[in-house]
Parts: sequence; C-alpha cells; structure tokens
Amino acid sequence: MRGNGTRTSLALALVLTLGGTLTGCGGDGGGGSGGKVSLRFTWWGNPDRAARTEEAVKLFEQRHPDIDIATSFAGFDTYKAKLATQAAGGDAPDVMQLDYRQINQYATSGILLNLGEHPELRTSEIDKGLLATGVVDGKQYALPVARGTETVAYDAALWRKAGVPEPTLTWTWDDWADAMRKLSAAKATQGRVGSTDPGQSEDVFEIWLRGRGKSLYTKDEKLGFTADDLTRYWEWCTKLREEGAVVPAEQTTQMDGTVENTPLGRLKSVSDFNWDAPTSGYAPIVGEGLKLAPLPVGEDGTPGQYFKPSMFFGASAKTAHPKQAAQFIDFLLNDKKAGAILGATRGIPANDAIRQDVLPKLEGFDQVVSTYQKQFEGKFEDPPPAPPKGDASLQTTFSRDYDQVSYERMSPREAAENYITEAKAELRQ
Amino acid sequence: MTATATRPPDAAPPATGGKRAPKRERQGAAWVFLSPWVLGAAVLTLLPMAVSLYLSFTDYDMFDAPRWIGFRNYTQMFTEDPRYWRSVITTLTYVVIAVPLQLLLALAVAIALKSVKRGKGFYRSAFYAPSLLGASMSIALVWRAIFNDGGSVDNLLSGMGIDIGGWINKPGWAILSVALLTIWQFGAPMVIFLAGLQQIPAELYEAAAVDGASWWRQFRSITIPMLSPVLFFNLVLQMIQAFQVFTPAFAVSAGKGGPADSTLVYTLYLYDRGFTASHMGYASAMAWALLLAIGVVTAVLFRTSRAWVFYANDNNEGAR
Repeated sequence: MRGNGTRTSLALALVLTLGGTLTGCGGDGGGGSGGKVSLRFTWWGNPDRAARTEEAVKLFEQRHPDIDIATSFAGFDTYKAKLATQAAGGDAPDVMQLDYRQINQYATSGILLNLGEHPELRTSEIDKGLLATGVVDGKQYALPVARGTETVAYDAALWRKAGVPEPTLTWTWDDWADAMRKLSAAKATQGRVGSTDPGQSEDVFEIWLRGRGKSLYTKDEKLGFTADDLTRYWEWCTKLREEGAVVPAEQTTQMDGTVENTPLGRLKSVSDFNWDAPTSGYAPIVGEGLKLAPLPVGEDGTPGQYFKPSMFFGASAKTAHPKQAAQFIDFLLNDKKAGAILGATRGIPANDAIRQDVLPKLEGFDQVVSTYQKQFEGKFEDPPPAPPKGDASLQTTFSRDYDQVSYERMSPREAAENYITEAKAELRQ
Repeated sequence: MTATATRPPDAAPPATGGKRAPKRERQGAAWVFLSPWVLGAAVLTLLPMAVSLYLSFTDYDMFDAPRWIGFRNYTQMFTEDPRYWRSVITTLTYVVIAVPLQLLLALAVAIALKSVKRGKGFYRSAFYAPSLLGASMSIALVWRAIFNDGGSVDNLLSGMGIDIGGWINKPGWAILSVALLTIWQFGAPMVIFLAGLQQIPAELYEAAAVDGASWWRQFRSITIPMLSPVLFFNLVLQMIQAFQVFTPAFAVSAGKGGPADSTLVYTLYLYDRGFTASHMGYASAMAWALLLAIGVVTAVLFRTSRAWVFYANDNNEGAR
C-alpha cells in the first residue's frame, strides 16, 4: 500500500485540472444569472451600426428587465465563416443577422426557427414582396430588415462637362454603353474612363439577365441561364473594355467590396455599379456632383432592377428562449423608437410605417438614397426567392472566372463554360 | 500520507532509489505537470486531425451530416479540378522563389553581423523584428498598400523610371510581392545562422589564413561545410513553413487569390473550398494531401542531406 496516498492525491489533482479545464470551456450554458433570460445576438457591420445597435439593445433591456442581450459583431466575411462554424457545431446564436444567400441553406438544414409560429413577432407592416424572400418551403424562417437596390453612381458634374446626355429612368444597355464610350473619349473627363467593368459583378449580370426575361435561378432552383447567355454578356463587356469604355483588368482586380477601392472611388472612372446603401461612401471622394441613376433596362424596355432585402434577422432553432428571441426581433423591426435609433444603418427599413418615420430624418447622402428608392415604389417586380443552397461561393467564382477573361487567359466562351460547370456542381445538378 | 512518511526526512526525491514507489511518484508528478500539454495535444491536435482524416472521405457542407464518399474528394482533386493544380503550381513557384532567397539573405546578414563589434544587440533585434511582426495580418495589409499602384514602393520605382503600375494587380508581380514579404522575414533563420557561425572554431580560419586562403576559399571550405547542419535545419524548417503560406497571399489579394488566381496559394484555395464554398470534406482532403506532400519533400531533403551535410563527429567526411 505504499505510495497509495500520494497517488490518490495526484490522481485527484489531475481530475481537478481536467475538470477545471473542461468547465472553463463550457461556461455560459444560456441560463444567465439571477433568473434572467440571456440571448446572444450577432451581426456584421461597421462601428456606426454597432453603436446604434447597442443603443437599441439597451432600450430593449430597459423595457424587458428579465432579458439580457449579449451582442457581438464582425466584418461580413469573418462573420459568415464564424456563423457557419457555429451553426455546424449546433451553437448558432439565439438571434442572428443573415444574408439573402444564407437563408435557404440555414433553413433547410434545420438551423433556423420557424418565426411564423410566433405571434409575438408582427409582420403586418413589412412589405409583402420582401417578406416572401424569407420564406422557405412555406415557412417564414427569416425577416427582412431593410431593402436595397442597385444603382449607377456617377459624377454628374464631369458627365455634364463631357456633354453626354444624363441617364434617364428608361435608358437601355445600349444607351449606357454609348454614354461610356463618349465619356471615355471626352477631354473633360481627364483620362478617366466611363465605368467600372460590369463583367466581374454577378449582381449586375443578374439585372442584365432579368432585362432579357431570364434570371439567375429558376423557381425550381436550377440555373436560369445558359453558357450562351453568360458568353454574350462577357463578350460584350470585353468589347467595351478593349474599346476603353470601361476600366482595365488592373483596376477591376483591386475591388474588395469597399467603396474606396472601386474605380470611381479611386477616381479612375466616372461611374460605378453598386448597391445604393454604400454609395454615401462616394460622397467625400466624388464631391458635390455625385448622383444616382437606375440601372439600364433591357432593349425592349424590360426593367431588371428590383428591391432586394439587404439583410435578415433569424433565430436559432435550438434557442432555449424562442419567445424572447421573437420579442427581440419584433422590437428591432417594428418598434418606433428602435426604428428611430437604428435609422438607415442597415438600409432603408423594410417596415412601411418605420420607413415613413425614418425617411424625413435621414441626413446627408442617405437622403439621396431614400429619394432614389422612392421613385421606384410600386414599379419594380417582386424580388426573386432566396438563392438555392450551394450558391454561396458562386459570386466569387463569377468574378474569378471573369478575371481570367479580363487578363486574357481565357476567352469569354471558355470562362462561361467553366462557370456553368462549377455552378452545376455546386447546385448538385 | 503514508508514502511521504517512508521517505528520508529531508523529503528530497531519492535520486538513485531504484524502488518502484518513488519512481511511480515521479512519473505521476510528471503526468500532472504534463497534463495541460497532453490535454491540449489530444483535444486540440490529435482529435481534430482524426476528424479531418475522416471528413476527407466524406461530402460535408457543415450543415448536413457528413456523407461517406470514399476517395471521391481525392480523385476529384487530382483529375477534375484545374484550380487545384493552379494552386499547387502557384505554391511551388512561391516556395522556389522565397525559400532560397530568404536563406541567402539570412546567411549574408548573419555573416556580416558576426564581425560587427559595436551595437550587436541593436542590429540583431532590428533584423529579427520583421520575423516577429511579419506573420501578422496588419503587416500584410501594409504590404498590400505599399505595393499597390500609387503605393510608396510603386511611386519610388516610377520615380526611378521603372513604371510597373502596382504589383498586386499584375498577375506576375503579385506573387512576387507575397514572396518578398517572406524574404523580408529572414530574422529567424538569421539568428540560427549566427549561432551556427559562432560554433565554428576560430583555429580553422587562423590556419587557413596562415595557408593564404582567400575569403571566398575560407567561406567555401570552412564556413559552408561547418554550417551545413544549420543550413539543413533552416532549409527544412523554412520549406515546411513556405508550403503553408497563407496570411500574406490572403491579405495581398483581399482573400481572393487574384489577380487571375496568381496568388491562389494552396492553403488559400483550401480555405476557399472549406469556408467560402462549404466543402469541408474536400478541404480536409486537400489538407491531407498537403501533409503528405510536405512529408515527401522533407524525406527527400533528408535523403539528399547525406551527401552535403557534415556533422562534426563524422570524422572521415568532415570539413575539407
């Protein structure tokens, strides 16, 4: 029996070390302290959005002293990867901000709560067409927070100096291309070319496609276009690039999602395609002349543009407090005070009543964005349903394949066929 | 406490006790002290490795349960994915440029520093600092900024009449800027070289000098052979690291591996498959292929080392 005591105490110490490590890992089981319900809420965004969100969260906590909201946020790419990892580990946050392209995947994988079953969450004031984008298999898995639409942001002062007619509500893609050629050729633009190369953007391609009566995806979640369509689009872009009407590959490749690194933001072009929400970022760079024009319509007048939900809120199917999660989302979307605090930080609100409240109070270029959206009210077709599962990486694939075209490593035809092959593999078709 | 009572009063562990109980006690203590590491290795390294090996034979999108598909990921990788091979070639290009240049620079600076008399500490820290900083994302972002068109390096070069118009947006130049970032971090191998240089007996050089050997002759016949174990060590280490390069390529290309996939190094493509495209099974298969490739390259290096690495106790094949 010699040495037994020591051995026991050593074993004990080991168990304690182990135990300590393990409990250290699994800290907050969700219960929270003092009988409070604790919810985790995560989103992506910038510091401004963070400050306003925190303020709204504080107001909610004041009204619901029994609910505690723990928040965290990150940049979009980081957020996306982190959320996917959390969701895979069965540890998705109770309430989360979601992207259009995540809805289908998360809903069909059983990660999202069916919010339609929660009467605490009112949806009566949210635009019907937008609301439908959060529906998968007949269930409301996510709620649109705000809406955005694409735009051509341009320097109207230079445009006028160059003597090119300004964009109209019904300009066609041919009109657009003509304007770009003239802008590039004009002396007044001082060597700047007409536009960003639309070839790298799947978003612009979608509008172009819709203008021809097609779509990225069909209703039964198949690809809505062929290699011929994409080849035609990329050949057209390539021609414009070779003519010098749009920027060369060296400019396109520097785009990283920020306004500052777009050709217009770098003062290399006179106009740029972008979503309307971030265009306020051009204001300090471009100055007074900055204006927003709609995207061109198809040659037969078919508009391709639509209001797209800029982001959603959803709740975890595994949350221990579905009722409180629904209450919190309801507060963020429908409460007037919350609406006033949040303003347009997530885009122009999808809630009709809040939008009426918020719009007049917007400042600076946000006001221009809201006026821009207003002219389309009731004129756009409904947005397409959430993209099918598997499409997550196709946006990147699209711009990568076009990179091969603009650096002349592949013909538009080869690259288009590449893309179609990859897209079909991703969509498992 | 019966055990401690049997010990000598001074309670020092009997060094040559030879009895079983104390030995076991010491083993026990060792395990207690090792436990954080053992635990870390098991939970954070071995378990994930096992899982990754399993996943590499499955189709796993992180949401639905993994589906067993055998070697499908591997065959797809080797036979159907041109982008995979592009990433392999990009990585090899990078390794071939970055590793030799980095080691050369490290060796040159180490030799120069060896004879520096004053401010030794300062120079060593100054050259070593990039190795500490260089792996960080922030430095990589600075790199992106200074090699961009309109960035300081680009401006400097165009001031000298060399107009490249930015490195990071030219397919041929972008990977070079990534390699430069690695080369710039030559501090770690340099410190090891310095240590190696100081091990070489001064008598060898004195004898050579007496015989009238030139600097070059001394370098070739004394420094290089005597330093060859250190050289080998650095080569293997830097090679292994270079195969796994990620951060600079990620930052310089804003995560995309562009322009035109020219900075799409292996691990960046792996990351893309895993986290952007949600093909964790495929990414795991890529990780295992990389592990095997590094293993093979290292084994080959060890093989060739017999021909050129001399250890001081190999009397017959010593420096000559």
